[in-house]
Amino acid sequence: MAGMKTATGDYIDSSWELRVFVGEEDPEAESVTLRVTGESHIGGVLLKIVEEIKRKQDWSDHAIWWEQKKQWLLQTHWTLDKYGILADARLFFGPQHRPIILRLPNRRALRLRASFSQPLFQAVAAICRLLSIRHPEELSLLRAPEKKEKKKKDKEPEEELYDLTKVVLAGGVAPALFRGMPAHFSDSAQTEACYHMLSRPQPPPDPALLQRLPRPSSLLDKTQLHSRWLDSSRCLMQQGITAGDMLWLRFKYYSFFDLDPKTDPVRLTQLYEQARWDVLLEETDCTEEEMMVFAALQYHINKLSQSGEVGEPTGTDPGLDDLDAALNNLEVKLEGSAATDVLDNLTTIPELKDYLRIFRPRKLTLKGYRQHWVVFKETTLSYYKSQDEAPGDPIQQLNLKGCEVVPDVNVSGQKFCIKLLVPSPEGMSEVYLRCQDEKQYAHWMAGCRLASKGRTMADSSYPSEVQAILAFLSLQRTGGGGSGGHPQGPDAAAEGLNPYGLVAPRFQRKFKAKQLTPRILEAHQNVAQLSLSEAQLRFIQAWQSLPDFGISYIVVRFKGSRKDEILGIANNRLIRIDLAVGDVVKTWRFSNMRQWNVNWDIRQVAIEFDEHINVAFSCVSASCRIVHEYIGGYIFLSTRERARGEELDEDLFLQLTGGHEAF
Amino acid sequence: MGESNEDIDQMFSNLLGEMDLLTQSLGVDTLPPPDPKPPRAEFNYSVGFKDLNESLNALEDQDLDALMADLVADISEAEQRTIQAQKESSQNQRPPASLEMPDFSGAGALGYGANVAAVSVSHYENDLPPPPADPMVDLPPPPPPPKPLSQEEEAAQAKADKIKLALEKLKEAKVKKLVVKVHMNDNSTKSLMVDERQLTRDVLDNLFEKTHCDCNVDWCLYEIYTELQIERIFEDHENVVEVLSDWTRDTENKVLFLEKEEKYAVFKNPQNFYLDNKGKKDGKKDGKETNEKMNAKNKESLLEESFCGSSIIVPELEGALYLKEDGKKSWKRRYFLLRASGIYYVPKGKTKHPQIQKESQYIKYLCCDDARTLNQWVMGIRIAKYGKTLFDNYQRAVERAGLASRWTNLGPASAAPPSTGLKAGTTQANGQIPQAVHSVSAVLEEAQRHAETAKDKKPAFGNHDPGAPRAHQLPKSSLPPPPPVRRSSDVCGSPATVPRAKGPRGGFPAPPDDSLPPPPPPPPLEDDELPPPPPDFNDGPPDFVPPPPPSFAGEAGSQLPPPPPPPPAPAPEAPKPPPVGVKRPPAPPKRKENPGPPGGGGSGEQDFMSDLMKALQKKRGNMS
Repeated sequence: MAGMKTATGDYIDSSWELRVFVGEEDPEAESVTLRVTGESHIGGVLLKIVEEIKRKQDWSDHAIWWEQKKQWLLQTHWTLDKYGILADARLFFGPQHRPIILRLPNRRALRLRASFSQPLFQAVAAICRLLSIRHPEELSLLRAPEKKEKKKKDKEPEEELYDLTKVVLAGGVAPALFRGMPAHFSDSAQTEACYHMLSRPQPPPDPALLQRLPRPSSLLDKTQLHSRWLDSSRCLMQQGITAGDMLWLRFKYYSFFDLDPKTDPVRLTQLYEQARWDVLLEETDCTEEEMMVFAALQYHINKLSQSGEVGEPTGTDPGLDDLDAALNNLEVKLEGSAATDVLDNLTTIPELKDYLRIFRPRKLTLKGYRQHWVVFKETTLSYYKSQDEAPGDPIQQLNLKGCEVVPDVNVSGQKFCIKLLVPSPEGMSEVYLRCQDEKQYAHWMAGCRLASKGRTMADSSYPSEVQAILAFLSLQRTGGGGSGGHPQGPDAAAEGLNPYGLVAPRFQRKFKAKQLTPRILEAHQNVAQLSLSEAQLRFIQAWQSLPDFGISYIVVRFKGSRKDEILGIANNRLIRIDLAVGDVVKTWRFSNMRQWNVNWDIRQVAIEFDEHINVAFSCVSASCRIVHEYIGGYIFLSTRERARGEELDEDLFLQLTGGHEAF
Repeated sequence: MGESNEDIDQMFSNLLGEMDLLTQSLGVDTLPPPDPKPPRAEFNYSVGFKDLNESLNALEDQDLDALMADLVADISEAEQRTIQAQKESSQNQRPPASLEMPDFSGAGALGYGANVAAVSVSHYENDLPPPPADPMVDLPPPPPPPKPLSQEEEAAQAKADKIKLALEKLKEAKVKKLVVKVHMNDNSTKSLMVDERQLTRDVLDNLFEKTHCDCNVDWCLYEIYTELQIERIFEDHENVVEVLSDWTRDTENKVLFLEKEEKYAVFKNPQNFYLDNKGKKDGKKDGKETNEKMNAKNKESLLEESFCGSSIIVPELEGALYLKEDGKKSWKRRYFLLRASGIYYVPKGKTKHPQIQKESQYIKYLCCDDARTLNQWVMGIRIAKYGKTLFDNYQRAVERAGLASRWTNLGPASAAPPSTGLKAGTTQANGQIPQAVHSVSAVLEEAQRHAETAKDKKPAFGNHDPGAPRAHQLPKSSLPPPPPVRRSSDVCGSPATVPRAKGPRGGFPAPPDDSLPPPPPPPPLEDDELPPPPPDFNDGPPDFVPPPPPSFAGEAGSQLPPPPPPPPAPAPEAPKPPPVGVKRPPAPPKRKENPGPPGGGGSGEQDFMSDLMKALQKKRGNMS
């Protein structure tokens, strides 16, 4: 025991005084002074500190931070000597977990406690476990961009800040599901709301905001983000992060393993959000046609999300208790006896018969719409001169299976047309059906859509399809603003379809809303049947199909070159890109890579590929550690195997990505 | 275009009237026994909407019987299913196992009600020159010329009854069938019945059995669509009947059965499509005619990366192609770009954001400078359009090829492979009725048609076991078919009232169909003033190396006995598959770290590879 004294008060052992501040690096913080020797174990010192403070509190998360060395003293069996601590060491006795504000991929802010003492890789894994995002190795944290001077930004409304700091997660085990969400979210209304924020797509952004947010105008701009990645092998404390700081959580590696809508609602949603913002802010270029599909998917996703149709059988509906489910099941069983009626209904296939106006565009024809008696049976449309001739030969018969159905509707103009593109031996034949009113249109349109998929109006989805079309038309009536008679004008349009929130600003400038809406609706036709998670997945896939998808850009200087160039890092290759023109100069694939070396002192990365191809470059826009970690990270991700499930080989990751500090 | 249900009835009564007038009928009594002779079907009947009155009576007895037998099989199968579904009982006897369609999903029977109402049987007289006699097939002596009998009317009535019954059965069966004449590359043809549920893969499997070819992955059905000046490979997942239903009557279109190494070229040498075109941007042209060599492991990882991720990767293709101007005969050189969402081109000059082709005329004709470019574009477009399906098809084809070589391997080196019956169980649908199809030359057909009659009015349909007679197919053409010499045209199909079902719909990656027609060759006929010579689609690309054994063997491959016998055809078959099991990740490259002095070269650099190797070893240790 340190601190043996003689009667005169002189210490007779080799003990000395150690001052420890209590709190988080605050110089004003209270401090305690302990009598220690070099032989004292850290564990003993911790005990003494707690005794000295004389306050009852849970100290279990506290540990000692050595400020000068930027190091946590976590090995409780080590002695002060072993750590090399002398009396002049500035030590802080503080909590290892501290609150930070996370900016999520969906751009919402969330307060939670993160580990300030573990390597970032583990801290992110813990955060992801809390948020129920699988495969945390794909994500990482970025420093928030430095705020420019607050000019008139003060006006910005206070944004809602979700709080998960009070949630404690039992270590290690994947949280059980309760009421359709991980159990730790179901504690209170606040956490429940937080889960909905995480797992449900956000409404489209305000178009004005979209215009205002910074967008990259060049490749150079796209390199800036990547200078802000934190180091995975060091802890937050070591990287100068303090409690309450804002950090961005983002998918860093564009290699998404085993995306599963059933088990990944939060992961899928956040990935969708990241993809959506990436497209909207023009980080990844897309064409006009692609933008329309992205817009249609967003529109569809938003519609489903707003209406609460989550579409998953597990049902995140909070109202559905186990008891309810059991009752429902019972009901179904009781109704089971009526199955024969159902069978009868199945055998009769509904038909539609009515007078419609038909137009067949042909070369050198002046004919317009003509009234015909039209019979729609199963998947076949036949039309006659009049109802009287119906038993005879139709003028034409069209099997709609496999055809394309395009709405051509203007509610305010009372125009309800269905454009059919039917494959024919000559290529394609085009037919327009013009309906009288919304109701007629909805029935025929629903029938055409089903028929194009080879299904008849006996299909169980027919009534809901009719309803969906009717609902859609009423939206157009209130929101389309075509007639302009609506008192609320633009506000009402927001609840319908405001195309400007769905497309990148480039297209906002290029098109009027009136031009965009029909194109988005046309594209929507192809995705209207998707469930929420299917639509999100489709969006992500379309995003992944963009040629420039998933490339992280860094400004580098190649060895022997006198100008800066761009290094693009993707999940399978490195790309040398001309900085000025943007052209790809050379591509190297990771599969041909033999080894890579980092010279930390001259900030140079040297890579050797097969056939003795050597590439070396120094990093300009980001530290070479970031490049190194990207390469190592992608190599690590490529070693993942389905069989191993979610088990994470942290050692391998840190070995592949760690800097020299790690050794 | 088509007729409604009522029309059919009307036609049928017309038909019955005509039947009464038949005078040249003969009593060829009883249902013919299964004919051991190979089916040399020069007949060509199809099930469609039209021509009932003109051709139903033209159907030969055998054909009719064959159809009936087939239908009975279908119906009993359908009945069994219904019963099973209703009672949820498994006690009911299933039809012989060989009848079960591997791809049967229930949709086939339920979903095509539209066809039921208007189904008829029609016979198209083959007005084309008779194909040259197949030397491999010894014709059976033609039936003796019929002698007029006094019971013509009775016979006619018998036939009419049969037809009537057939019609009813057809209605019940709800399955649309076509008899398709397939042109072989030895200039012969084979006819086979294809029902509406069969995919190209199933048809190929049928043809494999009929021809005893080597079953390698290059075999394909090939559509020659003269009206649209298109020829193309049928994708293995395409529904054959749906495609053929789009053909017009009296069409010159043909279906060929032949080997096309382009079919799955991307899976054999993915680097030719995914890697080498980048060199063009450097302005280097050296890579054009050479094939990059790539080892199997890298090919595998390239394929895995491109086809097994959460979204498939479409090869990056861009370059100048010729576009035929709408309504004009001139071709304009334009800069094209392939993306997963479609084909784009720059209308004038090269700008950053090219426009996609507009739908104006549904079909665009493009022309490439050389065969290599053509192959790259065609393959790229197929990948963009079909995505993962293409890869799945390939794996199935590899599996099938492996299976075939296994049978060949097991069997004695005799002319008769032992496996026909077995294979039928797994790969054949019940749409085939070889036993009832007599070898009748086209010349004799006419005479026979009028001569034949049946004494028995009710053939014992129920007794037919459609599975069994397959064993009677003779291994006539087990030799590798000679290269194509000439292709006669084929007339097959019903009026085009059934449009082609499209591929996966929705936004991209599947692009809108109208923007992506199958890549057509330029029209060869009147457009002779066109600047670019139309590439000959049939020519094998000269710059493609013979495909090495694909490195991606299907799962089934791993269970096969090792080395297949030397293949009868030049293309490699039955690659010895690597053991499939745990997917090995590519070995991560080494990594070094250098804490040493600047410019220290390798000396001070730390070897990251050893870390990795240690880690991997540790990992393996943990796993095992």
